[in-house]
Amino acid sequence: MDEKKHTSSHYEKELQEIKDGLIYLGALTEKAIQDAMKSLSNRDSELAKKVIGADDEIDRLDSDIEERCIKILALRQPTAIDLRFITTAIKITGHLERIGDMAVNISEKAMQLNEAPQLKPYIDLPRMTDLVGQMIKDSLDSFIRADLKLAEKVRRMEQEIDDLNEQIFRELLTFMMEDSKSIHRALLIMQISKNMERIADHAKGVADMVTYMVTGECVRHRTCAIED
Amino acid sequence: MKGRLFFKILFSYLAIVVLSFLILNSFIKDELRTVMTGKIERELLAYARLIDLSSPADIKAQIAPVAAISRSRVTLIDARGAVLADSVFDPLKMDNHLNRPEVQEARVRGEGKSSRFSASDNMDMFYVAVAVKDRGRIAGYVRLARTLDDVKKTVNQIYRSFLMALVVIFGLALMLALLFSYTLTRPVRILERFTEKLRRGEPTGTLILQTADETRKLADNINYLVGELQDKIRQADEERNKLMAALTSLSEGILILDEQDKIEFVSRSLSDLLFAYYGDIEGKTLAEAFRNIDLQKIFHAFKVNREAASAEVTMGGIDPVILKVSLSEISGPPGEEKIMVVFHDVTRLKKLERVRTDFVANVTHEIRTPLAAIIGYLETLQQGAMSNPQDAARFLDIMLKQAYRLNRLVEDLMTLSKIELGEVEFRFEEVSLHAVAESVIGLMEAKAAAKGISVANQIGAAMRPVLGDRDRLNQILLNVLDNAIKFTPEGGVVTLDAQQREDGVIVSISDTGAGIAREEIQRLGERFYRIDKTRSRELGGTGLGLSIVKHLMQAHGGEMTINSRPGAGTTVSLYFPFTHDFRA
Repeated sequence: MDEKKHTSSHYEKELQEIKDGLIYLGALTEKAIQDAMKSLSNRDSELAKKVIGADDEIDRLDSDIEERCIKILALRQPTAIDLRFITTAIKITGHLERIGDMAVNISEKAMQLNEAPQLKPYIDLPRMTDLVGQMIKDSLDSFIRADLKLAEKVRRMEQEIDDLNEQIFRELLTFMMEDSKSIHRALLIMQISKNMERIADHAKGVADMVTYMVTGECVRHRTCAIED
Repeated sequence: MKGRLFFKILFSYLAIVVLSFLILNSFIKDELRTVMTGKIERELLAYARLIDLSSPADIKAQIAPVAAISRSRVTLIDARGAVLADSVFDPLKMDNHLNRPEVQEARVRGEGKSSRFSASDNMDMFYVAVAVKDRGRIAGYVRLARTLDDVKKTVNQIYRSFLMALVVIFGLALMLALLFSYTLTRPVRILERFTEKLRRGEPTGTLILQTADETRKLADNINYLVGELQDKIRQADEERNKLMAALTSLSEGILILDEQDKIEFVSRSLSDLLFAYYGDIEGKTLAEAFRNIDLQKIFHAFKVNREAASAEVTMGGIDPVILKVSLSEISGPPGEEKIMVVFHDVTRLKKLERVRTDFVANVTHEIRTPLAAIIGYLETLQQGAMSNPQDAARFLDIMLKQAYRLNRLVEDLMTLSKIELGEVEFRFEEVSLHAVAESVIGLMEAKAAAKGISVANQIGAAMRPVLGDRDRLNQILLNVLDNAIKFTPEGGVVTLDAQQREDGVIVSISDTGAGIAREEIQRLGERFYRIDKTRSRELGGTGLGLSIVKHLMQAHGGEMTINSRPGAGTTVSLYFPFTHDFRA
């Protein structure tokens, strides 16, 4: 995508701005979930509040990117790879915005958990966070470089996240069975884990869109409506 | 092959020659004919008039001599056109001549002339006819005819010499044209070759022309321009080289963004600093290359304000570096301004800053804790606990312990600052590491035995001795071994080993403890840095042990490296070189 130059360098610049915007948005969401997790493991409710406050910028950037995309669709009438790029960008920004919302969810849960004594040391959740952060980074990298292999790697990582989520669930179940007072906290942790798992789903969604953008093939569902 | 200019000049010369000949020719040819035929006409007419004076009968008789004298054919024609006599042909065989143009003209005007092809003579002839009058009436005509061959011959002769002249002139013109066009185009060709060389960037030297016309001036101008141009190029090259040398030798990383905000230039120091983590970043935008939120923020701010801006940005992954990033504009034509980004590595500075503040905080904390305990117990004693001898003895015990701890702390701090200031005297001698290890293990035996830890000395007795201060070597090994025993759970194993290398010995102290996380290892040499703060203090450490080891190792010209993985134990490697300059 980078190699071919458009006749209009201004058009080129507009596309690049969308790319950069998505990378920036990706970095923001990545930081949001890292900070959300830090607010939990360091029991730092101030940081959690910051994450919730920072979501405004994510939302603003999301609508800004969407607006730019629609403008290009209307004014430039892109075709072929450019059209797929723009439609993909619109979907990716939606995914990233949802990831931002989930970071807010996690922060809210973290704030509640920080009020009570720590139920258990968090080991799997930070690992999950690192993995999910890597997934977001890789999925965006695959988008920038139109790298199908990297998109495939992101899809494989999603399975790992599912396994971790499952493991956390089983562990929390034992806590809850032992002591009914722990149920509230355990449920909150479970929701955080679930949110992480959903974030991984969104990262996978980005990777799927990249595959669509490069090949024109739809891999999101086993049966796909769009066929060209 | 000669250029087109040469042919242009040559052809114009030839065209002028040919054209002038053609024009001359058309004038001369007609003129020559007219003059010559006019002369013949006058001559024949004179003869005809002379003949006219005699009677027709006389003429008839005299026709042959008359023809001979006038060098013409003489014909006598009667009034009705019948030929009476002819100097050449038989009159009986000749047809009526009244319709001949010259005769007709003579009938009307008295004399006539005509030039035409004669069927009887079979050649171009000139005819003159005069009417012979007898008492006012036309009695007949005398006609004289002379061939025009003479005229033709003369004209042809003149033509021949004319053509000869033409050929000679043509040849001369050709030579002249060659000469002129050659001399004219020669400087032009030299100029052409010179500028061609210049265009290809080959060394040209000076352009020398042996002419005195405008081309000379042109050559001078070109020489001047070439000189200027080469000066400019040399200057630009010089400037560029200076700039590149400056950019590459600067410890600050420099990055230049082109007008499309893509990375156009990365200085070596910057790529050395960031390549490992970000890879090749040329041609990407800042967002693509670094995907750093803080960097992006300052970049956006700069794009909006177009004013130099700077901020501190943390970059990289596992070993992050703190960079002070400054953006400024490189002026250029509107819309083509480039941006220079300067990265200044302040990681060390920031680290030192933190170490210093940590140190002050730590020292006060370390001193305050035992002091608080001592003060607390003293107050208790003062308030009556002294009367209870059992309690008093216990309190004094505790206070003494805390005072010892304070003393140890102060001693460690003093050792450290002495080493740092270079005030410690080292007495370097050849020391056997095996012996040092044995004596240290002897000191720690009781402590290890209490925890059920076995300490193994695998350092060979025959190992080549190292240069060192025996007491300091003792202290180094003691500190490291003390740590190993402290942080190894009961029943563990601590092993001392040594490997001889070409240039020195590596002593390794391995334990089977809990191991240390990667981020922590980097900070281990720092003063008061403790991994597990509460536990270490409980175990009686001052938090200065490894810091002292680090400094002592430096004094020995060696170094300490720590390898560890959580759960897999820790290995402290001490490298002692065989030779070093004893700076201490």
